[in-house]
Amino acid sequence: MPRVLIIAYGNPLRSDDGVGWAVAEELSRKLASLEVEVLQLLQLLPEVAESVSHADAVIFVDASCDGEPGDVCCRPVTPPPANPQFTHQLSPAELLGLARQLYGAPPQAFCLSLTGQSFEHGEELSKSVATGLPQLVAKVEQLTKQLLR
Amino acid sequence: MGEAVKQGKTIIIDPVTRIEGHSKITLHLNEDGAVEEARFHVTQFRGFEKFCEGRPFYEMPSLMARICGICPVSHLIASAKACDALLAVKIPPTADKLRRIFGLAQVVQSHALSLFHLSSPDLLLGMDADPAKSNLFGVAEANLELARDGIRLRQFGQEIIERLGGKRIHPAWIVPGGVSEPLTDANRDAILFAIPDALRIVERTLEWFKGIMENFREEIASFGNFPTMFMAIVKQDNGLTFYDGKIRIINAAGKVVADALDPTRYFDYIGEKVEPWSYLKSTYYKPVGFPDGIYRVGPLARLNVADRCGTPRADQELAEFHELQRTAVLSSFHYHHARLVEMLYCVERMEQLLNDSEILSQRVRAVARPNALEGVGSCEAPRGTLFHHYKIDEQGLIRWCNLVIATGHNNLAMNRSVLQVAKHFVRGNHLTAGMLNRVEAVIRTYDPCLSCSTHALGQMALRVELLSPSGELLDQVERTG
Repeated sequence: MPRVLIIAYGNPLRSDDGVGWAVAEELSRKLASLEVEVLQLLQLLPEVAESVSHADAVIFVDASCDGEPGDVCCRPVTPPPANPQFTHQLSPAELLGLARQLYGAPPQAFCLSLTGQSFEHGEELSKSVATGLPQLVAKVEQLTKQLLR
Repeated sequence: MGEAVKQGKTIIIDPVTRIEGHSKITLHLNEDGAVEEARFHVTQFRGFEKFCEGRPFYEMPSLMARICGICPVSHLIASAKACDALLAVKIPPTADKLRRIFGLAQVVQSHALSLFHLSSPDLLLGMDADPAKSNLFGVAEANLELARDGIRLRQFGQEIIERLGGKRIHPAWIVPGGVSEPLTDANRDAILFAIPDALRIVERTLEWFKGIMENFREEIASFGNFPTMFMAIVKQDNGLTFYDGKIRIINAAGKVVADALDPTRYFDYIGEKVEPWSYLKSTYYKPVGFPDGIYRVGPLARLNVADRCGTPRADQELAEFHELQRTAVLSSFHYHHARLVEMLYCVERMEQLLNDSEILSQRVRAVARPNALEGVGSCEAPRGTLFHHYKIDEQGLIRWCNLVIATGHNNLAMNRSVLQVAKHFVRGNHLTAGMLNRVEAVIRTYDPCLSCSTHALGQMALRVELLSPSGELLDQVERTG
């Protein structure tokens, strides 16, 4: 079982929403080891809860709508105080909550995001997101190494 | 559950929740305030049949797989089979078996989604449960093992798809002429290793389900419990299959209406009708006409139509299933039961196929140029019989395309089921969550995939409207999620 699980999610056919996948492709090369697993997902679904429960730490990587395009943000994630009504797709916090409910104490978790500029149909990242991508990759890499110590 | 709004004599439930796609239900009341008419409207549209025109035929499997995120494999299979017909090739035996395993894995993950994630809140917590608790979190609170089993079974199916196709959603491994890569021994062994656990989960869930059926007598009696025909593809020996065979149609008495019909001639015996109030076409059996040519497809139909499964445990369960009713099993509530029996069959059948001596053969693709200008592919998708029909020009470009989707086959039956449930449970002047949830729950028994059936870009949503005799909107409920 990996000690650190990186979950990069979003839709790579919706321009900047694919930034998580771009990060995952970089990190799969840089962090390839038995201790790190990188998942590329379109959205967070309940069945990911079991994988989450097996990790010591989880890093979610996603595009964001908050802030200025290109902004990189890192925040801790904790289970929500109340369960969501709908489970068609889950937020990182809700996924942690489900992992806790189904499998016991959830791992520590962080969400690293990069604010997108365009979420229209397309496979290209916007200029501001492409510029911010190396910074996001570096932050995820740095956090992963800290968590492995 | 969707939000209910009552305005005069109309109830609207919008959106319908815990289904795949966008829809709404309209209930029409008579002068006495009783439900007189009900309609299940599909409110999304995409138009895959149109925008694939002009594309090279060999792109079709990958393009068509994008119709759905739940059952892309069925579209891959039907599309690739239509392309096989355009190439006029017989695919290698190992490719045929690998495609079957791929399809069976998808049935497991799709049925698990329907039963555990979407319907188990109703089955475990009851139809009158607090809508805020009617979800996977509520299931986990009440029955941790059931919630874990659902997640594990979904993973089992998805992991097989990923091992064979390279990714869980929209894999493009199935290609015209076969599959793109052979199976590795490591992947075969990994799948075989996971099978005993999957079998245990399905068996455990079957026992649980049979134990709770007594609690749902009223729903069994009123959830789409009416005579219709049933249609499915069966093997030569009339056994259950998801990949290839002949069409068989039986009536409500369980008697064969039509046998050994050629799936590639579906247009000879299946008609399609467009209604102005829905983007979902309704199909009917042509010799009987519209709307009396109503039939159902999917798990309930497949088990009604099949004489046997061909695997030991599923055959035992099928015999028990057939004893539910001396005629065909008519209540749509039993779709849930049928899904479990089918999952058992799928897991057993995958084990048989993976132990086949040729399963690791490297010969998995026949290569040819187009040799026919028209091709039809068919298979049994999780929700029922699926047809892809293409016509190409001399350059191999798609000139015409028609898709007949499982949810469309069930459209007439879903509408009639909503009316039956609404008449039984809904009283116009007083809406309760439990009444409205039952209207939604009967739709869930069919596990409709509206993204597939309208080839539409959908989110989970349903609206129910209550209309007066003059068409005035009396009330509506609406929900997203």
